[in-house]
Amino acid sequence: MIDVKNVTKRFGEGQAAVTALGDVSLTIPEGSFFTLLGPSGCGKTTLLRLIAGFELPTEGEIALDGESIGHLAPNNRPVNTVFQNYALFPHMSVARNVGFGLEMLKRPKAEIDSTINEMLDLVQLGEFATRRVDQLSGGQQQRVALARALAPRPKVLLLDEPLSALDLKLRKGMQSELKRLQHETGITFVFVTHDQGEALAMSDQIAVMSAGAIRQVGTPEEIYTAPQSRFVADFIGDTNIVNATLLGFDGDAAKIKFGEGTPLTVHAASTSLSPGPVHVALRPETIHVVDERAETALLRGEVVDSTYFGAGSQMLVRLEDGVSVHVQVSTPRPVGSRVGLECDTSMLHVLED
Amino acid sequence: MGAAAHIARPDAATRLRAAQEVRARQRRRTRLFLLAPALGIIGIFGLFPLSIALVYSFLEPGTYGGVEWVFSYDAYVQFLFERDIFDDTLSFNSAYLQIFGRSFGLAITTMIGTLILGFPVAYFIAARPPEQRNFWLFAITLPFWTNLLIRTYSMLLIVRDEGFVNLMLMKLGLISEPLEMLYTDGAVLAGLVYSYLPFMILPIYASLEKFDFSLLEAGHDLYATRTQVFRHIIIPITRPGIVAGCVLVLIPALGAYITPELLGGGKKLMIGNLIALQFGSGRNWPFGAAAALILMAVVLIALLVSLRAGASKEGGHG
Ligand SMILES: Nc1ncnc2c1ncn2[C@@H]1O[C@H](COP(=O)(O)OP(=O)(O)OP(=O)(O)O)[C@@H](O)[C@H]1O
Ligand SMILES: [Mg+2]
Repeated sequence: MIDVKNVTKRFGEGQAAVTALGDVSLTIPEGSFFTLLGPSGCGKTTLLRLIAGFELPTEGEIALDGESIGHLAPNNRPVNTVFQNYALFPHMSVARNVGFGLEMLKRPKAEIDSTINEMLDLVQLGEFATRRVDQLSGGQQQRVALARALAPRPKVLLLDEPLSALDLKLRKGMQSELKRLQHETGITFVFVTHDQGEALAMSDQIAVMSAGAIRQVGTPEEIYTAPQSRFVADFIGDTNIVNATLLGFDGDAAKIKFGEGTPLTVHAASTSLSPGPVHVALRPETIHVVDERAETALLRGEVVDSTYFGAGSQMLVRLEDGVSVHVQVSTPRPVGSRVGLECDTSMLHVLED
Repeated sequence: MGAAAHIARPDAATRLRAAQEVRARQRRRTRLFLLAPALGIIGIFGLFPLSIALVYSFLEPGTYGGVEWVFSYDAYVQFLFERDIFDDTLSFNSAYLQIFGRSFGLAITTMIGTLILGFPVAYFIAARPPEQRNFWLFAITLPFWTNLLIRTYSMLLIVRDEGFVNLMLMKLGLISEPLEMLYTDGAVLAGLVYSYLPFMILPIYASLEKFDFSLLEAGHDLYATRTQVFRHIIIPITRPGIVAGCVLVLIPALGAYITPELLGGGKKLMIGNLIALQFGSGRNWPFGAAAALILMAVVLIALLVSLRAGASKEGGHG
């Protein structure tokens, strides 16, 4: 288990100082596939480098299984990294790359050799042991980097956007391979990505970050179906965010209305919101298109665009207040027609800003 | 035009073959043009004098310098043996071997000295942000703007008995008598290290410049200490630069002439001075030529052996 407690990381000093992480706290459960998700520059790599020990925190503490490791050099932490550019040693064979960690730990030769074989089998590169690393394809290098980082059996494996250099097909393959490796080894994986699809598909838990802070931590389902803030809802996929008026709370449930419509009872990210204008998340797949005059229609607008994508069509509907909403349908309405939008109120969700 | 294209179509393959031949010819010609000037200069000023030296080394010395056109391998015999003036018997003479040994010792020490001083400098420059590197490289090459002779003379002024170093030490009261530094092996070594340092720094810098510094983090991440990272990652990857630097320092240091002459006072002969002597007051051109060729042969053999050793070591890794 990794405990990140009130960690702040600043680069530079005085006027030029950049705060990459501001008072971040996070608990990463043992043996889980944990993903750091966020836009470019939000501090994902910085957090990973702090856990690896390449950087020291400006303030705060990092503990692994209850022991403080924040001050240790990288070579004294039972943590290994899979680098984004792989950083394989170009002057060594595949086998020696994989055995390097154990060699530095001065393990017996027999143990090193058997671990190398085991790891190469695990990543299905058995017959490449004697190759030079520059004679491998990108995907193969990626797997060597994985085997090299797993060979010393670290407690934690850190992966910084390891799949971003691979093409789509290879990436899909590696995603399931990573899941399998995590499952088979039981090692805690901390995975960095800015691809929300990847994060949702692979993780046990996701931490969504922005601007040096953690916005929400939860399972993929929680993050997807119950985003707390507008930022998270926006970042995770193609959620629609529409305007509504908050009337008040009834226990945990919020009472809202769209425009001058009837009051509805929906979920809310927080009960501390004050009545007035709020944003509500509306997933495209939960919306049904109905006739404009239908009683059940919560929102009304005009179809402004429609795109065919094979399994169906995506329609863009402009609401009366000018906000555009994506809707997935099997038979699109013609552009220019007016429609009503109906949806399951249990799927609506009031957001924090 | 349409008609021409129509007619040309049937023999497109022939035209392609012709075009391929033209390309190949152009490529050969370009290669020749690129190499010709250098080959010409090496031929005229390198191989031609070398052949003369080879021929002269198998002739007899003229009484007042020059050569007598009589075949003799005496020059080579003289290198190892002394011929008795009276009965012509040969006895082993190690004097010239000692000169060779001393020169090699000095050159190798120079090489090691420049390596120890030069590597950290090269590393320092390569670790600077790119826009600062040119400044440092410029600073390294600055001494080349002045003639070697003048730089060596200035060292002479610094290390002599009344020189800067002794004056300072005496002023500070650390010594009462001037230290004898000029005309010692130490002075020659310092002069050689100073002169050849850039030849060590530049090739090592060239190999470090391409070095991917994230490999250092990868090494630390995999439990290597700083020393282990240096030994197992930095050194092997920059080995080509180190070898080039060593060769570039060792070979000219072996034949160094000005520095041992000025800073060593010519008290102990080095190969360079020995050879120069034969063409001057020694008046033994064949022996000078032979000594030069022997030096060349030894260096060549040493290079080949070390390259072979380096190559097999690389192979061992793979
Ligand atoms: N060594 C450094 N010196 C100064 N600023 C830095 C340094 N490293 C990171 N930063 C800054 O810290 C912030 C966070 O950077 P970080 O690399 O952690 O982002 P990231 O989330 O990994 O982004 P990306 O998805 O683009 O990789 C950025 O504003 C970056 O400019
Ligand atoms: Mg990053």
